[in-house]
Amino acid sequence: MTERRLRRPSARKAVSADPEAVTGEVDPADVVAELAGDAAVELSEEIEEFEGVDQVSADASESGPSAGGWIARRGLIAIMVLGVIAAPLFYRGDAGQTKLTWMAIGLIYIIFGLSINVLVGYAGQISLGHQAFVGVGAFTSAYIVSVSHASFWVAFVLAGVSGAISAALLGFIALRLKGLFLALITLAYGTVAQFTLFNVSSLTGGGAGARAPRPAGFTSNMQFAYLCMAVTAALLYIDWRMVRSKVGRAIFAIRENELSAASFGINITAYKLLAFTVSGVFAGLGGSLFAHQQQLVQASSFDFTFALTLVLMVVVGGLGSRVGVLIGSTFFALFPLIFNAISLYTALIGAVALLLTLTRFQGGIAQQIAPILRWFGGGSLRKQRRSHVMQPGGEGVRP
Amino acid sequence: MKAFIVLGLIDGVVYGLLATGLVLVYKGARVFNFAQAEFGTVAAFLAYWMFEKQHMPYWLSDVLAVLLVGLLGFILERLIVRKLFNAPRVTMLVATAGIALALIQLEIIIGGANAVPLPPAIQGIGVSILGVIVTPQQILTFVALVGLGLAMGYFFSRTDLGLAVLATSQEPVATELVGIGTRKMSSFIWTMAAVLGGIGGVLIGAGGAIFPSFMTTSYLLGAFTAAVVGGIDSLPGAFVGGVVIGLTRDLGGYFLPKTIPGGPNLLVFAVLVLILLVRPQGLLGAKA
Repeated sequence: MTERRLRRPSARKAVSADPEAVTGEVDPADVVAELAGDAAVELSEEIEEFEGVDQVSADASESGPSAGGWIARRGLIAIMVLGVIAAPLFYRGDAGQTKLTWMAIGLIYIIFGLSINVLVGYAGQISLGHQAFVGVGAFTSAYIVSVSHASFWVAFVLAGVSGAISAALLGFIALRLKGLFLALITLAYGTVAQFTLFNVSSLTGGGAGARAPRPAGFTSNMQFAYLCMAVTAALLYIDWRMVRSKVGRAIFAIRENELSAASFGINITAYKLLAFTVSGVFAGLGGSLFAHQQQLVQASSFDFTFALTLVLMVVVGGLGSRVGVLIGSTFFALFPLIFNAISLYTALIGAVALLLTLTRFQGGIAQQIAPILRWFGGGSLRKQRRSHVMQPGGEGVRP
Repeated sequence: MKAFIVLGLIDGVVYGLLATGLVLVYKGARVFNFAQAEFGTVAAFLAYWMFEKQHMPYWLSDVLAVLLVGLLGFILERLIVRKLFNAPRVTMLVATAGIALALIQLEIIIGGANAVPLPPAIQGIGVSILGVIVTPQQILTFVALVGLGLAMGYFFSRTDLGLAVLATSQEPVATELVGIGTRKMSSFIWTMAAVLGGIGGVLIGAGGAIFPSFMTTSYLLGAFTAAVVGGIDSLPGAFVGGVVIGLTRDLGGYFLPKTIPGGPNLLVFAVLVLILLVRPQGLLGAKA
């Protein structure tokens, strides 16, 4: 036993150097050693093979799935998009009018979600006064249509402009403040907008509210739902292009670390203000649609609870993730409407769902559906890939 | 004018108390606690339920209500705050807002959305101070909160537990090294913050109508501003800031023309912007 044990390493070495060389003496110990050596070679071959398999699969995920895989992925996306586009047609009848209203509201909330995502998710600037931008857009649009009697399209564009201006004003303050202090100033900004700005009777009709009729050509619920869908699609496209461009990368860099971003020649002031402006444009446009969907805008709609809902839906959806925000916004828009029968409990369930999401999945819905998103992007359901979704501990949101 | 100064001082100590709770949690968890004022509403409702429905003695209802809210703060820290210790601060902030929302909804479901009257602790007609009629409840609130402020000043400068809390907020790692459990301190901080909010709730709610979220809607923004004005890491600053905000609001209501809607809020905003731009560390805060 001892002898065998001693000889085994040398035998194994011989085998691994040249397996055919060990043929001379026939000794039980050698046979055993040979077998052991063979086993070792086999094992190492197996390992190589295993690694080879792994390499092949890694190569595959680098170069993407097969043609069939792509067809399946693209096909599923196409079916979903077509389904959304066709959905309003199924509710043309009188019974479906409520559903059409829900669709419009859901789409408008997606715009709100995208708006706040630009600021909080991409740029890392917390905003608790986002209802101010939405409200400014809504009241601008209502005023221009019902008092100045201009066309909806003029009002729509100007709502975006006014949203951008109000957000840029806050942006100038935000250049000097960070984290929680910014949160506080935005909170106060939103409160002032709700109680002071939106209650100036000559502009907003005071407590009675401002009338905002449906634009010509989009008076029916279905037409309006399609209008909202078109605007949402356009903004989703803009958001996508922005994230993929130099602008998007600069804004992400600022979120991660302002100092290193500046040292790479990124103009912090300009890009921060740009993030605020883009967010304001989105919010203003969404506010305009919101006004004409409701047809009556009141200051009390833009309270702190509304601002909180806006933040909650992007956090639950997943900060920085477009798909996550889309799902989160739709959920928070439709949840109270669908479960109206037990309306007392909806807000409670929403709040508890939020707390569960935060304590269990800090990345929100985006984190939970990450494998599915990876698969659609051409990856495997299992392997990790890098993404720009906000990781816990981003610099911009620390105090 | 004098009346507004007296009212401003009384409001000021309330803002100061709530701001102290906010500063406490900020020191412990580096987050603005949006549920701070709502602890007060919960306590007021509990006191109302025990006094009016269960016919318990008034003082016992108040004490039990405050203790129960303290327990609530303890449980919330265990269930939610502790899990988010290393999360981004915005996540934690949203979580505290979620707690506030959940509490408000629970109040509506259990207590109903209507306002109910909570009787004052001391019955009797008001007395005149500087020509202003002040109710006994207002005097009690003022005295109790100023006393509480002084007691806290003693607690945080002279007792081991108070110093341990401050140490935890300043240097958690070093605090662990000298044998103080920072997790226990976090529990304690949230319990204490809830108790402070609860005391504010039973004192302010008494003698008036209480309804779900009344503390949050009337006092939260002012309390935040008070905390920042006084210096977000300064406990005495919170009280000073509270008085500044109370006087600003009530004097603003006196001086500003009535044609400006929401005038007091506008002034609070102006004070906040001014302080953040000119002296970001607050009146009594240490420079970062």
